[in-house]
Amino acid sequence: MKSRGPGAWLVSAVAAAAGIAVGACGAALQATLTPWRIGDLAPVLRAIPPDAPRVEVAEPRHEFGTMGMGTGKSHRFEIRNTGGGPLTLTRGGTSCSCTLSQFESAGSEAADSKQVVPVGESAFVTLTWTGKPPGGFIRQHATILTDDPRRPEVSLVVEGMVVPTWRADPSPIVLPRINASSKQRASTTVFTYGAQPPRVKGLTIDHPQAPRFFSLASAPLAAEQIAAEPGATGGFRIDVDVEPGLPFGRLRQTITTMFEIPEEVTAEITIEGAVGGDLVLVGAGWDSSRQTLELGNVSSRVGMKTRIFLSARGPHRESVRPTVEERVPESLEVTVGEGSAVGSGAVMRFPIDIVIPAGSRPANHVCSQEVPAGRIVLATGHPDEPRLSIPVCVVIGP
Amino acid sequence: MKRLRSLLATVTWCVVAVAAAGTPDRGPGVADTVVVTFQERNGPLFVDWPKPKVVLAITGELDGYIEPCGCTGKENQKGGLSRRQNFLKAMQAAGWPVVAVDLGGQVKRFGKQTEAKFQSIVDGLRGMRYAAVGFGPADLRLPSEELVAAVAPIGDQPTPYLSANVGLLGLDANITPRFRVVEAGGLKIGITTVLGDEEAAKIRNDDIEVVPAEKALVPVAAELAKVGCDHQLLLAWAKPEEAKALAAKFRQFDIVAAAGGADEPPRELPVLPGGAQLVELGHKGMFAVVIGFFDDGSTPVRSQRVPLDARWGEADDMIALLATYQQKLETLGLDGLGLVPIRHPSGRRFAGSAACQECHAEAYEVWAGSGHAKALTTLSDARPRRDADPECLSCHVVGWAPQRFEPFEGGFTGMVKTPHLAHQGCENCHGPAAAHTAVERGDVRATEVERDRLRAEVAISLDTPEAKEKVVNNCLECHDLDNSPQFDFDEYWPSVTH
Repeated sequence: MKSRGPGAWLVSAVAAAAGIAVGACGAALQATLTPWRIGDLAPVLRAIPPDAPRVEVAEPRHEFGTMGMGTGKSHRFEIRNTGGGPLTLTRGGTSCSCTLSQFESAGSEAADSKQVVPVGESAFVTLTWTGKPPGGFIRQHATILTDDPRRPEVSLVVEGMVVPTWRADPSPIVLPRINASSKQRASTTVFTYGAQPPRVKGLTIDHPQAPRFFSLASAPLAAEQIAAEPGATGGFRIDVDVEPGLPFGRLRQTITTMFEIPEEVTAEITIEGAVGGDLVLVGAGWDSSRQTLELGNVSSRVGMKTRIFLSARGPHRESVRPTVEERVPESLEVTVGEGSAVGSGAVMRFPIDIVIPAGSRPANHVCSQEVPAGRIVLATGHPDEPRLSIPVCVVIGP
Repeated sequence: MKRLRSLLATVTWCVVAVAAAGTPDRGPGVADTVVVTFQERNGPLFVDWPKPKVVLAITGELDGYIEPCGCTGKENQKGGLSRRQNFLKAMQAAGWPVVAVDLGGQVKRFGKQTEAKFQSIVDGLRGMRYAAVGFGPADLRLPSEELVAAVAPIGDQPTPYLSANVGLLGLDANITPRFRVVEAGGLKIGITTVLGDEEAAKIRNDDIEVVPAEKALVPVAAELAKVGCDHQLLLAWAKPEEAKALAAKFRQFDIVAAAGGADEPPRELPVLPGGAQLVELGHKGMFAVVIGFFDDGSTPVRSQRVPLDARWGEADDMIALLATYQQKLETLGLDGLGLVPIRHPSGRRFAGSAACQECHAEAYEVWAGSGHAKALTTLSDARPRRDADPECLSCHVVGWAPQRFEPFEGGFTGMVKTPHLAHQGCENCHGPAAAHTAVERGDVRATEVERDRLRAEVAISLDTPEAKEKVVNNCLECHDLDNSPQFDFDEYWPSVTH
């Protein structure tokens, strides 16, 4: 017998029945999972009886202002019953690390996580927050569950700015690419929150050849800069000049500054970056850790094209004129475009378009011990780096 | 019989279809008890939401938290790409057309680990089919070769990144587009991103061109206006005040997201004078904010702050992505990650906890029975294992700077060379004790005065408020708000007192 799909009427009828059933089940499940708390539809649609409680919080949000690290601040919220029947309150959850007290009634030291508030009276609950590292603007909340049919939960919110003893911005100081042949400057601003403006007593950097490569200076901040930083009572700027000649590789040093506010503070700020040469390849497929261009498996039927960039910086960037000297495999079509200055002009950018045309001959440059990489060799025009060889990992298959 | 089977199949299909169209409230396989627990803790979701025409799922400010730290129970913390993936899928499974966008700020630090993490996060965002991603300032502090390699289009796959005013290798290099128009649920949504001027001024990366946000938005806003979008979204990596100023100047954007607000977003979106809704996302990717558009004249727009808590469960493909990231860290090793040991402020060296046992047997017993003595095991037993991750190791072994994520000279470097420095040992509180133990064992001769000085160096006291503050501050290096939110010294101390 030939199997047949269900008729349209059957699908419709069953879908409607299932829809109603599942809808009802869903509603029931929802009600089970979130009783009273979700502002669910049913109580809202029901007529509110005159003896129902009504919860009112005149100020559900409290602003702590600024507060010190490790310092606790509390606020006592008043929750009032303005309805026609007793109001039951239950402590709900709090956000991260906020402390919610037990309820207390007016004029009493209460201690319960549940409280019945008579008509016209109030209960009180205290929310406490202790500033923890790293500080900044905080917003924490606690939830109180109620049996007010109009408002099944009340959210109490505290906000404030937790200030540390000091704060540097930016911290760490990052110089993504320190050009080995040019001088560079980096800066950070240190805000302090002590009883008096800072008196800087010392400024050092932990590099073994610090005097040769680094010079440090500090200067007080203008009053308007300090005023713009909430809670700050003072501050200073640190300028770091990085001299040319640092060895290639990662740089990560610590600047230590000592100052009085009036207690003596030793602040450590990291300066980090990568010291590199004038010519850098950038683009999708360029693996900087392996220093290879990964083109992957390419079907000779389809071919492929991609674009990478050569960026040139340093005093010789204007003299860089890349041209293609060699291509392996020869089916690689490589075109170097005109140079353009990036942003402020400290970097010149040259697009390099690489095409493997459809119909190219198969080639294997998978970059293993047995099968070496292909390559693109550029003559650069840079006096110190006249040739740039780009290893290419590619397999051109059928 | 066949007719009955056919009928049953039809019923099943209908039930599945109808169930799939319900309200998203959990990840796949998450039990009711978990959902109820987290509804009570962090609130229910999408209450009274009918099916939206389309939802914008807005995330951002991940700050490097590719997953929440599991030190004190991952189930108690929020965030992570894995839960985010399940959350997005749950909305899609409910039949909601989803447009996922991200403000940016995937990382916060600098260095090889951050580069590897950034690449993994961008891979994750591509996997989650984000329609738009902006740049945060720390993203732009990465070396351009790493940034472009992660962000640039791959073959025919466009980049999810876009920015009106940030150009990698210059705006005219066109590595990322300035804006994008997404069509979903029958609506056209125009999206662009900007980096605010205050943050842009701190970027020191010559490979990146940044023009003032307002100037860059003029032509982009004009282009978006031509397209006839139903809604326009501006993702502004700028403090709320700066974002509000942009919203006031470009009133065509009905949704404006800002960065750098409070640690958690408000429950309700404030409406700005021009009518735009201002979105804050909180920090560390702990929340997403969903904005739904409806065929409902009375409530055409609804919003929901979504805590990415344990009710979303874990997504297999994001866990696989995390495993790949951890494997990369293991392959690179501390050397490959560029972690050069730094000098301990005291200049002293470490002996390992076992060296303390001989003279301080009772104290050692207390330590051995505490969680501190299993700290590294928790990382090696984790799936995927995290015992090659410096950001985890720094609080799970002896001799690291916890907040700098790098070893001190003579600190733990691995189980092969330094097994005696595994776990959170005595010297992380008392200070390096190599000289003290050498003298006490008689390996090194010292005068009584010298011996007493070395003893004093490793003694700690809770006798005065100042001394106690010093001890507590040391604890807070690891028991910080991220990793130990409930930490209270007086409550925790009895479990390790000796």
